[in-house]
Amino acid sequence: MAAGGAPDGAPYAIELRGITKRFPGVVANKDIELRVARGEVHAIVGENGAGKSTLMKTLYGMHRPDEGHVLLDGREVHFKSPADAIAAGIGMVHQHFMLADNFTVLENVVLGSEPTSGGRLDLAEARRRIRDISDRYHLDLDPDALVENLGVGARQRVEIAKVLYRGATTLILDEPTAVLVPQEVDELFGNLAELTREGLTVIFISHKLDEVRRVADSITVIRRGTTVGTADPRTTTVRELAEMMVGAELPSPETRTSTVRETPALRLSGVTVPTLTGRPAVDDVSLTVREGEVVGIAGVEGNGQAELVDAIMGLRPLTAGTVLLGEDDITAWGTRQRRESGLGFIPEDRHRQGMLLDAPLWENRILGHQTRPPAVRGPFIDRRGARADTARIMREYDVRAPGPDVLAVALSGGNQQKLIVGREMSAKPRLLVAAHPTRGVDVGAQAAIWELLKDARAEGMGILLVSADLDELIGLSDTLQVMLRGRLVATLDPKELTPEELGGYMTGAHTAAGAA
Amino acid sequence: MTLLRRVGLALFAPVLAVVVALLISTAVMAALRVDPFQVFAVMLDLGDTPSQQVTAIVVVLNRAIPLFLAGLAVAVAFRMGLFNIGVEGQYRLATIMAAVAGAAVALPGPLHVLLIVVVAMAVGAFWAGIVAVLKVTRGVSEVISSIMLNFVALGLASFLLTGPFRGSPEGASIISTAEIPESGLLGGLNGLFDAIGLANPPRQLYGFLPIAVLVGVALAVLLGRTRFGFDLKATGLSPSAASASGVDARAMVVKAMLLSGAVAGLIGLPDLLGQTGAYTTDFTSGLGFLGIAVALLGRNKPVGIALGALLFAFLDRALVPLQIQQFPASVVTIIQGTIVLAVVVANEIARRLTRRSAERGGAEPSSAPEPGTGAVGPPGDASAEGRPSTRREVQA
Repeated sequence: MAAGGAPDGAPYAIELRGITKRFPGVVANKDIELRVARGEVHAIVGENGAGKSTLMKTLYGMHRPDEGHVLLDGREVHFKSPADAIAAGIGMVHQHFMLADNFTVLENVVLGSEPTSGGRLDLAEARRRIRDISDRYHLDLDPDALVENLGVGARQRVEIAKVLYRGATTLILDEPTAVLVPQEVDELFGNLAELTREGLTVIFISHKLDEVRRVADSITVIRRGTTVGTADPRTTTVRELAEMMVGAELPSPETRTSTVRETPALRLSGVTVPTLTGRPAVDDVSLTVREGEVVGIAGVEGNGQAELVDAIMGLRPLTAGTVLLGEDDITAWGTRQRRESGLGFIPEDRHRQGMLLDAPLWENRILGHQTRPPAVRGPFIDRRGARADTARIMREYDVRAPGPDVLAVALSGGNQQKLIVGREMSAKPRLLVAAHPTRGVDVGAQAAIWELLKDARAEGMGILLVSADLDELIGLSDTLQVMLRGRLVATLDPKELTPEELGGYMTGAHTAAGAA
Repeated sequence: MTLLRRVGLALFAPVLAVVVALLISTAVMAALRVDPFQVFAVMLDLGDTPSQQVTAIVVVLNRAIPLFLAGLAVAVAFRMGLFNIGVEGQYRLATIMAAVAGAAVALPGPLHVLLIVVVAMAVGAFWAGIVAVLKVTRGVSEVISSIMLNFVALGLASFLLTGPFRGSPEGASIISTAEIPESGLLGGLNGLFDAIGLANPPRQLYGFLPIAVLVGVALAVLLGRTRFGFDLKATGLSPSAASASGVDARAMVVKAMLLSGAVAGLIGLPDLLGQTGAYTTDFTSGLGFLGIAVALLGRNKPVGIALGALLFAFLDRALVPLQIQQFPASVVTIIQGTIVLAVVVANEIARRLTRRSAERGGAEPSSAPEPGTGAVGPPGDASAEGRPSTRREVQA
């Protein structure tokens, strides 16, 4: 096997030739070609479900390709497990952090490859090496800090240090910016520059094209499981990249004219949700969502948004405050009664709160609507009605699935989400709580869900939108509330706001409560 | 998915489990220097004359009825992910209370039987209700409390039998409660055999059979066709999704355990009303634990449980003939034990196969798991508790 070479004659750090990976019934990757030069940031972009993760799993040794070759520095390798990949200098920073909160940075980094001398843990040497790594790449890590006290950005740097500690020369970062606010993204990109300056190679997986253009030295685009081309970030526009990625222009969440009416759909006053550890998760929150209005809740995740949603849905007890749906005081009502009287719910984690994965679609149609037609007749389940209505939802909301009898697990994330949105919309709620409604869905489904939310808003539905996607928040909302440490700290007008400014409010850098 | 395929998948696990269990049992018997094929021959030999054969069938059916009820009792709780290990104690206590209540009154036939049935169900439900209350108010695992309550129930039953409820004369070898009068017992169904032209055996087919069938049908409808059954199943599949949909999880635990206990209360009645007429020191034991195995074998579906109960009853019937032929009776226990183990493994394999075939069935171009479906780790605050999401690995 001849060694592949970069233009200057040096072999590529990583070269994939004709990688094909089949799973029974589907081809996840087909004829993938990837060439990554040493010392560059190479971005891999593609929609969710395009095959990026499968490809990275191949490269990281989590499964073996059916066809094709993997070359490292010009030599062909066959990884049997991630351990082989790590030994060959490939490290993976997962999207979901895998850190033990109650351990220090040092303990987390050495976890799994603990240095020993004479059978005893030798932390002194490890501490020295971590300091060394931290200084060299400006990671700014204190080995003895507890991970639970670190912010999101610092946790990510711990993950990077973990990989570097194991001697990685090539880092794979899977959607690293998904959990970061813009300022933290800048810091991350600074760290990546340090890494490449030291000769390390970074593979950066993302579908955020503007970020990719800023950070990458070269870009490979994947669509429908195969590489459709490479692009130079300096000469390619976001629009061109988007067209390569999806074959169409990216949709926009922008709403049309205001449809806000006077009648309030949801009023919270002084809502406080306790935690076990003292400081309340939601602290004295008051807000109003009127009919035809989208109120967006912005905030770095973990600042009480999830608890607020739970409190509105009746899944968490309040210590203080009232919740009014229309004119009804629902503070003391159970979740079922709330849903029956017109509260719709798109949960942030559809697998945990929105679906029964091991149940067929028609049973998922019933979920949350157990007491209402067309799925139920008296105390009995109306199987035929539920099936027929599921078929209608699949048609009207473009849920792509073989039929109402397939298990929910068979659907892609986007189709699962469209089923949930269709189900909730079908009940014509007065108020819809939409938590991260387009998280983890592809661009097509995202556009469809945005359209549905806009239409519902135009018809007078009140929507409380919690999201981490700043473009979505700014584009869809009529009013934005910023949540920080359980409190609403700012009310903003999305029409005069950039994502960067919003990010500033979310981290508490800006404190002025602008009048919207 | 075609009907044939679905039936095939449903049958796959139990049939595979039984076959594997028979193979393992064969190996064990061979190691014990017992000829497995002779053992199987004895098991399959129902007798030479028509009368003997029908008797064998009656014995199997009479044994299957309580096993079926025990399986149903366990399955009701299983459906929502609750392990009611306490069926044993629930039915023993229910049976003695029902026997005492039945012996204490004199009522016209059907009413008398109805009273006994109601008392049995109420006592079973009460005993299971303790488990539910402990779980929803104090968070006590139902596994632990129901096991513990078994010991309490068995001790209590013994105390009641030898103390206040003793009905047998002093010095009798078997202590029993007072006899239930004729009006409280259920006659046999042997007229049935005459009607369909089979030999009428000396042993009576329990009159409880139609009641058990009725309970089975009622539970099948309740679990499969009603809102209550849907809530129960949803809670079992995903407690978090169920409560987000408006199911009150705590009330559901109480309801499911009460129902499970009420069904458990019926387990002892076929024997009590069809044969013994009183609760005795040697009253049939172990049905509650066998019920767990039967429910597993039947995959918590009433029809499956009926088949599982028949299989276990068929195996149990061979105990006596095997001993007559000088074979160790423990081979039956070995076969039943290996079936249970094999069923657990096979159910898991079948579940994965169904899931994988479902995942492939999706008309998606890629099977790559979408990132971000789980909660994007909010590593920050107190909200992190209980977050991470996808319950099982996504097959990539």
